[in-house]
Amino acid sequence: MAKVLMKGNEAIGEAAIRAGCLNYFAYPITPQSEVAEYLAKRLPEVNGVFLQGESEVAVGYMIFGAAACGERVMTTSSSPGVSLMSEAISYIAGARCPAVFVNIVRGGPGLGGILPSQGDYFQATKGGGHGDYHMLVMAPDGVQEAVEMTMRAFPLAEKYRGPVMIMGDGLIGQMMEPVEFPDNLYTPPTNKDEWATTGMDRRNSRKKNIVKSLYLDPAILNSHNMLLKSQYDQMKREEVRFEPYNIDGEYKALVVSYGTMSRVCKTAIDNMKTEGFEVAMIRPQTLFPFPEKAIHEAAAKESCQCVVSIEMSMGQMVEDVDRSVKGQKPVTWFGQCGGEVPTPEAVMEHVRSLV
Amino acid sequence: MSEIELEGVVVITGNYGSGKTETAVNLALNRSEAGLDVSIADLDLVNPYFRTREARENLEKHGVKVILPHDRYMFADLPILVPAVAGAIRHPSDLVILDAGGDDAGATVLAALGDALGEARALGRVNMIQVINPFRPFTDTVEGCLKILGEIETASKLKVTGLVSNSHLMEHTSAHDIYRGYELAEAISRRTGIKIEFVTAHIGLIPKLDISRFNCPVLPIQRELAFPWNPRK
Repeated sequence: MAKVLMKGNEAIGEAAIRAGCLNYFAYPITPQSEVAEYLAKRLPEVNGVFLQGESEVAVGYMIFGAAACGERVMTTSSSPGVSLMSEAISYIAGARCPAVFVNIVRGGPGLGGILPSQGDYFQATKGGGHGDYHMLVMAPDGVQEAVEMTMRAFPLAEKYRGPVMIMGDGLIGQMMEPVEFPDNLYTPPTNKDEWATTGMDRRNSRKKNIVKSLYLDPAILNSHNMLLKSQYDQMKREEVRFEPYNIDGEYKALVVSYGTMSRVCKTAIDNMKTEGFEVAMIRPQTLFPFPEKAIHEAAAKESCQCVVSIEMSMGQMVEDVDRSVKGQKPVTWFGQCGGEVPTPEAVMEHVRSLV
Repeated sequence: MSEIELEGVVVITGNYGSGKTETAVNLALNRSEAGLDVSIADLDLVNPYFRTREARENLEKHGVKVILPHDRYMFADLPILVPAVAGAIRHPSDLVILDAGGDDAGATVLAALGDALGEARALGRVNMIQVINPFRPFTDTVEGCLKILGEIETASKLKVTGLVSNSHLMEHTSAHDIYRGYELAEAISRRTGIKIEFVTAHIGLIPKLDISRFNCPVLPIQRELAFPWNPRK
């Protein structure tokens, strides 16, 4: 298919269809409402279902229901809406159902504001809901990557039988870029007969499939949690994705940033390079699992004097960066939130001040 | 190259993401530079980001009057229509550009200005333009564009009087892409009898274009609504 010009939100909707997701339930909220608007038009054309829930709480459980039936299903929301869905996300993780959640993050806490933010980093990577669970979290830096991550999210959710999140700041949803939809990213669903409640007459199995997250026997609950942990460990081994930038030479500082913020940092790094000031960057594409090893190794380079986590949040990812660097070099935070995106000039000024 | 002839009240409509605001802002700057007394009003009640208000400083620097809600509502997440808009329609400068929101939802606001627009229309001073980018979903065919046109006319209670081909893939646009948009606009024009007011092209692409292919003026575009990692260009 030739290139088209799409908003991140529209492209995420189209990517879900291309990934074989014909079930989309959502509740509108700025800055992600275009996903719902787009899919309200598009899903009927492909015999899919769009249902607007009465709230995000309801939507979370509509997702749980469809996922339990073995259907590819997605919802999209923005920060306060994802908070409301967090209970269902925990239940879905507990019940081991695959589902895709998209958070187009706005400023918080509370109602916050409608402009872009990365303030939901902790919520996405450290829980949000209750209990020992994780989501695989991917963070695109543009519309094309949002498409590819959305298409990969469905098979990954099925591989690990759990919720997968795409986390984009508001700008990723709102900006427009030329985009293509790669056919080779479609994969047919697998293994759902082993667990999904599809009806006994619709699968080649005599085993009853029961979808639940309640395990009253403490020994069974412990082994259930051990199984979940082994899956999160497998994610750490197999699913870490990151982009190194300007990493080959002798750099004085290492930046870690993701999403919109990383594009600003790239401009800043390019500008500093023309002045002979070398700065490298690791851009995490997965926030969980986090590219700990890559950051550790990049920080170890002898020329590197310091590491800085640059975020549109008030010092969240910096904790994971610090954990990855393990004391080799000083780790600090720089950022802004509330909707203002730091400019390339502000990033340059700050990075220069560190060295 | 022929000159853009638009004067009076010019309502800019089109499907969501067709490039209305970038077209409106560039048209304002272009006409102001040509010596017209230009005002622009941001009626986009649909889009939360990338609105006319973001280009305000540059517009005002070039002598364009910008009609916006009060500063304290700059980031409001709800529709605000200031009375000054109706005033500008009733007593227009040489050119009053109304930048409406996308689709029929965005055009609905125009019906709320019905009284003022009705008076201006009686004096033959109202133009409504449909901006078309064939690289956007739902408007890559004549039928797709006509469907949006009908929906916008119904919602706005106004008739589309002109077409603008705003064909682009941002920095990946080729001359061929511009011709493709123009040909689509021509096909719509033949079907409906609505004239093409102008085609747009990024200022960097204009030297590569065969201008003789267009029976209408070309509006050079400079990106006024920039990404935070790229300056205005």
